[in-house]
Amino acid sequence: MRAKTWSPYVAGALAGLLLVLSVFLTGKYFGASTTFVRAAGFVEQSVAPEKVAGMEYFLKEKAKLDWQGMFVLAVLFGSLAAASLSGDRRAVPVPAMWEARFGASRVRRWTLAFLGGVIVMFGARLADG
Amino acid sequence: MNELLTGAVTGLLFGFIMQKAQVIRYDRQLGALRLQDMTIVKFMLSTILVAMVGIYLLFDLGMVKLSIKSTILGANIVGGLIFGIGWGLVGYCPATAMAALGEGRYDSLFGLLGMLLGAGLFAEAYPFLKATVLTWGNFGKISIPAALGVNHWIVIVILVAAFVGLFYWFEKKGL
Repeated sequence: MRAKTWSPYVAGALAGLLLVLSVFLTGKYFGASTTFVRAAGFVEQSVAPEKVAGMEYFLKEKAKLDWQGMFVLAVLFGSLAAASLSGDRRAVPVPAMWEARFGASRVRRWTLAFLGGVIVMFGARLADG
Repeated sequence: MNELLTGAVTGLLFGFIMQKAQVIRYDRQLGALRLQDMTIVKFMLSTILVAMVGIYLLFDLGMVKLSIKSTILGANIVGGLIFGIGWGLVGYCPATAMAALGEGRYDSLFGLLGMLLGAGLFAEAYPFLKATVLTWGNFGKISIPAALGVNHWIVIVILVAAFVGLFYWFEKKGL
């Protein structure tokens, strides 16, 4: 538990077992991107409720906190706990590989991360994954 | 048990495991996309291997239901290409971006905010997409064994052999 790293094979197998247990005990398969739709619907609802009420996709994926919403939030805390136990938690504003190629500018990295986030989620929703 | 509680416990464990496997790092994800570091591929294929065998065993015993998504070639291919471009830029997928934030890699916060906007934009575009891309090559809820008309264990055995072969090759090449 305090080790900095586990073999990806062992960790992957454990994640597989966790998925089997989850499906067996609660019928839930893992997913994350639907939660971003619900969260976006929640944010837009507080600004323009009439608009959201008429949007087909937000009717399909309602702005509510469900199993997957808790799953996605808890992933952050699980990672925080694991990193804390091994003393591996530290603030990294720009990843090393990015910095080696594109420089240490935070604005550049954060802008591209934001843009990438927009694109990756649009694609994930389109492919339904 | 309460759905929110089981979601939280499952997410905690999954986040813990992903951090220990170091798969939530930008450098690992880009390392896989650049074919230099197969850590996340080893992790994902090991997960799929165990879950595939476990879930189909329980399925044969009538103890679980499968969750098969529709195969829509247009949406899967176009969506996959768009996803790949975005993934290469942000260096995190949705769940790993959350986990990366927990580990202190806070560039992922900007990725997460972008993902929220991306989800909102998709909702705006949905009526148009539903009439176009989401109708191209719709095969419904099919699976590989059903499409081939063979028993699922034949497909599983072939995939397990292929994954193990890949693992052996990765280790030999030091990837």
